[in-house]
This record gives sequence, structure tokens and C-alpha cells, in this order.
Amino acid sequence: MKLRLDINGRKLRLHVPRGIRLLDLLRDYAGLTGTKYGCGEGQCGACVVLVDGVARKSCLLTAASAVGKKIVTIEGVASGQRLHAVQEAFLEHAAFQCGFCTPGMILAAAALLERNPQPSAGEIAAALQGHLCRCGTYPRIVAAVTAASRRKAARRG
Amino acid sequence: MGDALLADYKRREFLQLLGGGATLTLPLGSAETPVRVRLAENGIYEAFTGKIEMGQGARTLLTQALAEELQARVEKIRLVMGDTDRVPDDGGTWASLTAPETVPAARRDAAAFAGRPLTEPAQWRVLGTSAPPLHGREVVTGGLRYCSDLRVESMRHGRIVRPDAYRARLESYDDLAARKLAGVQVVREGDLLGVVAPDAQTAARAAALMRAQWKAEPLPDRDALMRSLRETAVPPVEVKDTRYPPLIRRGDVDTALGSAHRRLWSTYQTAPIAHAALEPRAAIAQWDGGRLTVFCGKQAPFLIRAELAKAFGVPETRVRVMVAMPGGAFGGKQRGECEWEAAVLARAAGAPVRVAWTREEEFRIAYARPPAVIDVESGVDAAGRLTAWRFRNYNSGAPGLAPPYAIPHMSNEFWRAASPLRQGSYRALAATANNFARESQVDEWAHALGRDPVEFRLANLEDARLREVIERGAARFGWGKRKAGAGIGFGMACNLEKAARLALFVETEGAGPALRLRRMVAVGDFGAALHPDNLRNQMQGAIIQGLGGALWERLEFDGDAQRTRRLSQYRLPRFRDIPDIAIELIDRREIASAGAGESPITLPAPAIANALFAATGERRRSLPLAVG
Ligand code: FES
Ligand code: FES
Repeated sequence: MKLRLDINGRKLRLHVPRGIRLLDLLRDYAGLTGTKYGCGEGQCGACVVLVDGVARKSCLLTAASAVGKKIVTIEGVASGQRLHAVQEAFLEHAAFQCGFCTPGMILAAAALLERNPQPSAGEIAAALQGHLCRCGTYPRIVAAVTAASRRKAARRG
Repeated sequence: MGDALLADYKRREFLQLLGGGATLTLPLGSAETPVRVRLAENGIYEAFTGKIEMGQGARTLLTQALAEELQARVEKIRLVMGDTDRVPDDGGTWASLTAPETVPAARRDAAAFAGRPLTEPAQWRVLGTSAPPLHGREVVTGGLRYCSDLRVESMRHGRIVRPDAYRARLESYDDLAARKLAGVQVVREGDLLGVVAPDAQTAARAAALMRAQWKAEPLPDRDALMRSLRETAVPPVEVKDTRYPPLIRRGDVDTALGSAHRRLWSTYQTAPIAHAALEPRAAIAQWDGGRLTVFCGKQAPFLIRAELAKAFGVPETRVRVMVAMPGGAFGGKQRGECEWEAAVLARAAGAPVRVAWTREEEFRIAYARPPAVIDVESGVDAAGRLTAWRFRNYNSGAPGLAPPYAIPHMSNEFWRAASPLRQGSYRALAATANNFARESQVDEWAHALGRDPVEFRLANLEDARLREVIERGAARFGWGKRKAGAGIGFGMACNLEKAARLALFVETEGAGPALRLRRMVAVGDFGAALHPDNLRNQMQGAIIQGLGGALWERLEFDGDAQRTRRLSQYRLPRFRDIPDIAIELIDRREIASAGAGESPITLPAPAIANALFAATGERRRSLPLAVG
């Protein structure tokens, strides 16, 4: 089937197998492999992307359901060379080891800060509870998201 | 493309862009003899290692080591990792050997290349600093290509048809429906049944349409399994010059047990568990005449090359294994199962074939951490000093077998057993099970003698560094300041593992499924801290990962099949399980570095079990702890 999708601000027309998941479309047909497969059942968060600004697990969505919506993947979070505040904070805190969970974590954290600019550590943990980090970097991730929220607040000044 | 290995191919080999994604052409052979360092263009040093990066920080650390001795900036070094045609065989990336073995080797080779003596630790400018992880920018922008992200020209997609049973022989199959799908090919080799298709979605549909008859082998239930480990075990014999001796003896343990003032005897168990690295494994294989080239995300490229050469009856020189970074490995990515499957399918298809396991295949087909049954018998003299110690690990392994305590008579034994499970390596191997049994038993002694667990350990320990680690941890934690009770427990455990001195103090609340952590303090002395921030990250990460095996993880089997197949059936540590954790490092620049990737995972299980006892008076001797 043919689909027209809006991904990272680009309009793409893709020819894909019928019924394909959004996750597979991104990875196999749009070349956007920053979105990861970890479980396929909504348990790990590695596949999270933003759909109209909301963090969604792309393994649970059909690609067809994303037609007409704005999709942002990890490749589309930075503005050109300028990293998003959450990306910068993850780098500064080395809030990863293997980094396989990181794209999903960053997108979910970015969406959280949009709706709650000053989340507490508990609110961050609750928002990211559906994300697994098998390397066990959770405390660093909470610290990085906290730092990003402070930086964004300072920028808004 | 983040990985320097792949960046290198990007430059050297043909590359095509398709829909924004990169497609690589598999390079076919290279006649270069492996060297450690050479000068490439523009003042860039190109360096080579058989080690791989899997999140543990080897790329950054080895680059720092090279930069130190070449007196070059980190950015001037391009490190090629894990390509069997181009790098020296530094052994598998396991056993926390990168810091103690490969860093010194890289430093020596770089110093020799530069024609300078080795830099003294006191003079280090790059080592000992927390350089930003070299893969960081690619991680946060999604540009890092993990093994499951690779695609090559003309690649086809394979999928294996699996029996429901844990182990089964293929009797017959019907592929009529599957072969009706366009471009689908069916491949059988022995008990391996697979399909190859133009895209992954078609491959999955075709595999689901296959009808196969299997003859299943039965599996024992949980109790029978644990019984069989002791029943089938064979006693160890002394082996010299081995990394993990299966028998470590001192004095005369039988006589010492017989004449001990008091004796204790307990049995401890640990369940089989899964590594569950976040990235399921994937491999791409291509044949060109008699030459096989494989892209994968494994910890031991040279071992996998040997396995593949043997499986296909070709010389190792005709097999090339190239590693792209795996999204976590933890000892679970050391064998070439998925690589072999891809190579079988690729040979039949006459095209490069990618096999990417699903999470269910990861759970069901990959090897697990072996279950353990451990018998400990020990005795003390009238002064409450440990005098006799007999420790028998059945099935799970010899690493971490010997106690750090100064016990005059002991016998530490690993008894190999006939386990029906696919079992293999795991972060820290058996050291976790062994430390659980050992540190539980020592805690049992402290309570039996009415002694404080910290004081009792210190009284039986001679190693000054381990004593300091425990004392610092106790002070930071406020050990002994508050009384356990009302569901709150305080516990601790220590270890001297792979030359690292470690202690963990925990505060727990509740019991059974409601058991949770309130606070943790960990102290580690790894000798010279080559990259302090990464040491903290590794130590904290290993402790958090260890919470899973301590509290919840257990693979379930039933009849002839493994029941645990999904993440939703397998409780792992998540954000809200993590208490406040303080990590303290003791940096001893003058002492050779111990690796840190593994040993801290040995701490949580005994520390928590000991806290649980302090809170409830119930001694749990079987992992996981937080089950009904
Ligand atoms: S792959 Fe979607 S939640 Fe795990
Ligand atoms: S950094 Fe490896 S899974 Fe999170």
C-alpha cells in the first residue's frame, strides 16, 4: 500500500506492506533506525516516537493510523546542529551506556517537559516507567531530565 | 554513522543512500595483517582491537589509553574494533578484562609505536579523567548504527520456524501456504527450518504459515531440575593455571569441621535467568564463493569466526566477522547462533540474508544464566572466628568461588552437572550465585553468634582494602544507627571479586512481592580509576541490573516448553524500583586497575536477603527473593 506521512517535518510517500507497524515503516522503509525494537508489545519504550507531540509506542501503532499526523523521531529532535536541551543533558550526564534505550527516553522526556516544564524526580520516574534501561542508568536519566528542565526554564528566563 | 568501524567502511567502501537510510556493501576480504597502531592520513592514528564496545565504555577507555601513550588528543585516534580481518585477537569482550589486560596491551603497543617509555600513572593526562563517551553524540541523535540497524545491498530477510518445545527434532513440514507468498524460499538443514523473503514482514508471515511436526523432548519441572543438578554433578579435580579453578583448598576441612566449636549447614539456590539485553540479536551473512562474511553484534568475534568455520567446514581465514555495537550484551552475546542461522539461509538463498531475533526468540532460544544449587558447611572456634568452610556449587560455575575471609581450613568446589537447559555466560558468571550463598552464610553466623554483621566480617577479614571499603560504606550508610523492625531491614554484603573490593549497604521495606529498596550505599575500590565517571556508571548499572535477579527474575518451564516468552512475563528493574543510590569510589592510582563491568552485580542479592532477615527473621536462601 502507499502511505503519505509527515515525518520530522518532511512529507514522505512510501510504498509499504499492508498492515505494517509504524515502527517497521520507520526502520525499514524510511531509513530512520534511531527508533528501536525491543519487545513489540509496549513494554520497553525503545520504539517511542512523538505523534502530534505525544510520546507513543510505535510498535503498537499501524503506520496507517499515523497518516495526517506529525511524527517526530529521534533524528528530528535537534534543530539542525543544535541539540535539544534533553539531548544536551543526556550527553552532559552520560545518561546512557549502550544507548539503545536512549532515543525513546529522550523523546518521552521531551514530551514530558512540554506538558510539565518542572517535573519532580517522582514525576519523571512515573512518566518514564514504561521505558526499560537494561544497563541500569535510571538515576542518571532522572538527573539529566531534571537538568534539562532547569536549563529550559533558564532559557525562558 | 557513529561506529568508527562502520565509519571506516563508509569511507573505504561503496555506500548508497536509500530513503535516508544507509546501505552498506559487505566488503570481501582484506589482506592487511593486523597491527595495533598506524599513522593514517592527516595526522590521524588508526588503532585496532579485537575488543568491542557494548556500552561498557571500552571504546572510550582504549582510545584514552592510546592517546595517553601516543601523546595525541583523543579525537586524533580512530579505533577499529572487532573486525577479524583487521584487528589483533584480544580475546572475547568478557570477564572484565579490558581494563586489566587490554588497556596495558594497548599502552605498551602505543608506547612502542611512539618510541617512548610508558607514561607513569602519576603523570597521566588522559587516563584517569572522565572523557565524554565517544559514542555519545550518535547515541543522543539516533545516528548510532547497532547491529540490528545494518542493511546491505541486495539483502534478503530470514526467519526461523521454531518449535513450541524447548528442544525438538523436526519430523516433517508443509510449506505449501508459505511458498505461495511472492519471493519466499524455504530452507531446511537438519532441525533448522527457515524462510527467506524479500522483506521482513513477508518473512514473518511466511514463517507463520509454515506447518511443521516436531518431536519434543520433555523438561523436568522446577523442583526436579534443581534436584537433578545435585544428582548428576561430578566432583572437581584440581586444575592449575586456569582463570576459574574449580577446586580451591587450604588446610584440612574435614577435620576442622569435625572439631569446630559450632557448625552451620545451609543450601542456597538461584534460578535460571535471561540477559534480556534491550537489543535482540541480529546478523547479516553473505557468501562469496567459499568465503563467508558476517556482520553481528557479538562480544567475541574471533570465537564466532571459529564456530562458523567449524560449522561450515571452511578454514578460519575464509570467514570474516565484523562487529557493530550491540545494544547491551551482559555475557549473553558470546556465541554464534543467529550468525550460523543467517549463514545457512544465505548459502541456500545465494544472497546476503539478515536474521533478526524477536524478543520471544531472545527469551526462548538464547542461553540463560545457569541455575545454582550451593551447599555450604562451615564452623567457628570458641572465639567466633571462621575456621572451617566447605562450599559446593552445583552447576553454575567456578568464578568467585573462594571467600575473601581468612579461613584456615577450606574447600571450595564447583561440581559440573548435567543441566537440561541451554546455559552459558552471564555478567559475572557464577560469582553472583557464589556471593549470594557466601554472604548469606556469613550473615547467618553473625546472627547466630549475636554479633553485628559488619563487625563479624571485619573480624574475619585480613584484606586491608576490603576492610576500608566496608568501613567507609558503614560510615556513609550510618550502619547500626537505627534498629531494624516494622518491616524495615538493614543489610550488607561485600566481595573481593576479580581484584575489586566492594561493599553494598541496603535498607529494605516489606517482604514477599511487596519487598522494595529504600536506600543503597555502595563503595568500590577498583585500583586505579582509569575513567572515574564510567566506573560509577558501571557500578551503579550493575547493582541496578542485579536487583532484577535478586528480586524477581526467573525463567519458567513447563512440560516440554519454556513459558517465559515476553517482557510482560518477566519483571525487570524499572524507574520506580530504584531507590536513592550513593556510589563511592576509592581511587588507588598506584595499583593496577581491576575491571568493573561485572563484579558489583554480585552484591544486591545477599545484601537484600540479609536486610530481609534483619527485618523479618526469615532467612530466604533462594533467588529470586520477592516472589510469593
Ligand atoms: S518495542 Fe515498542 S515498547 Fe518495546
Ligand atoms: S543504556 Fe543500555 S538499555 Fe539503556
